[in-house]
Amino acid sequence: MTTDNKALIQVRNLKKHYNYGKLKALDGVNIDINKGDVMVVIGPSGSGKSTFLRSLNLLEEPTDGSIIFDGQEIVDSKINLDAFRQRMGMVFQHFNLFPHKTILENLTLAPQIVKKAGKEETEKRALELLDRVGLKDRANAYPVQLSGGQKQRVAIVRALCMNPEVMLFDEPTSALDPEMVGEVLEVMKELAKAGMTMICVTHEMGFAREVGNRVVFMADGNIIEEGTPEDIFDHPKSARLKDFLGKVLEA
Amino acid sequence: MTISWSNITKLLNYSNMFQQGLIVTVLLALCTVFFGFFLAFGLALMLLSDVRPLRHLEKIKTDDMERKKRLDFIARFNPVKFIASAYVQFVRCTPMLVQIFLVYYIVFGYVTLPKFTFLGFIQFERFFPAAVALALNSGGYMSAVIRGGIEGVDGGQTEAARSLGMSKGQTMFHIILPQAVKNILPAVANEFVTIIKESSVCYTIGVQDIMFNVKSVQSATFIIAEPLLMATFLYFCLCYPTSKIIEHVERRMRQSDNR
Repeated sequence: MTTDNKALIQVRNLKKHYNYGKLKALDGVNIDINKGDVMVVIGPSGSGKSTFLRSLNLLEEPTDGSIIFDGQEIVDSKINLDAFRQRMGMVFQHFNLFPHKTILENLTLAPQIVKKAGKEETEKRALELLDRVGLKDRANAYPVQLSGGQKQRVAIVRALCMNPEVMLFDEPTSALDPEMVGEVLEVMKELAKAGMTMICVTHEMGFAREVGNRVVFMADGNIIEEGTPEDIFDHPKSARLKDFLGKVLEA
Repeated sequence: MTISWSNITKLLNYSNMFQQGLIVTVLLALCTVFFGFFLAFGLALMLLSDVRPLRHLEKIKTDDMERKKRLDFIARFNPVKFIASAYVQFVRCTPMLVQIFLVYYIVFGYVTLPKFTFLGFIQFERFFPAAVALALNSGGYMSAVIRGGIEGVDGGQTEAARSLGMSKGQTMFHIILPQAVKNILPAVANEFVTIIKESSVCYTIGVQDIMFNVKSVQSATFIIAEPLLMATFLYFCLCYPTSKIIEHVERRMRQSDNR
């Protein structure tokens, strides 16, 4: 693990306990995430991957520990949470597009009401980004009219419209039909290439190996092993990881 | 007691009274649902609020589990929610008739209302307390519906909105409420039907609704059964079509979900 103090996000001893410690979703996670990192988090279900990711933008309130984002403590601090969340985009497993708004409105709503940006400016930017994911012609459609893969691409664009510094992906392809996984991963790959700092919980081992520059293996609420994709996939050290890889890679 | 056709034809002389009663009943129900809705909305927001003045107690670190649980219990205390749910429980656990008397004889026993009639025959000083009492009652019931409608919106919507940096208020206004309306509106319309029926107890404080006019006609003509049948018929004619329309609109709304 790097101990570089200039890390964009420093997570220290992060804990999330339920029911007075009977269930430990996170049990003292430590990690530094640097600018430009594409960090892929893998692990069995119930290992705390999603909780970890959701703690980073405080959708989950940690029980204990500290998260320092860009030099600022965000756990239990008096910072403006809404302002901080603008800097961290999030993409969800179930897309969570706003069903009562058109695609374009989905993309422009937050920039308009949160950043108070103008209508023209936000629409121009939204259409530009939509074009890049090949969905410009669906701008006036409603989410129900799109396929799962299209919805997820829109969801990614929605987060990008806020110009975040970090993007969090919570199993972005898990709810998709297999034939649609590729189109979403493609967008994420583009994003990684463009230098976006990304933290991605996923079961797509191919993506982890190809796009990630760091892979983190979690189990039982803790980071068991961490390293480059080669370290993790080709030279796993811990028994837990070997066991896990054996199960997912043969499937 | 026999029901005769000649008695019913006699009632036609009083059709004017039934007509006035009908107008009062509908007007009363409309006012009730209108004001009740705002009350209910306020109550629902109170029930969903997260005002916890003692929340800092959660942060106290202690190894004593029993003490920790006690502190967390106190930290959960939400006075705003407490007031709202106490009110709702009061409304649900006392009879409507009692509530109307409380409002009419006690509350408006202190407040003197101006005495005038509007629309030619509606006595304001009786109509207004009845509308207030019904709205207070209906608001309590509707608050549960509105809260349910708001809670019924998928939690992922809130998470998505908050993760984009929207505040709680913005999320509520732009994301949750527009979606909750679909869950809420049919229930509010149903409440209108309910109030048309329940408002019939308001004749006891002299509001000239359908039931009041039934009593008047009964004492003027000494005909007992037929005016009651007439009232039954009127209430049914008000409620049945209304609830059918609501059902229809509800079905249409649900279809638009799968557009």
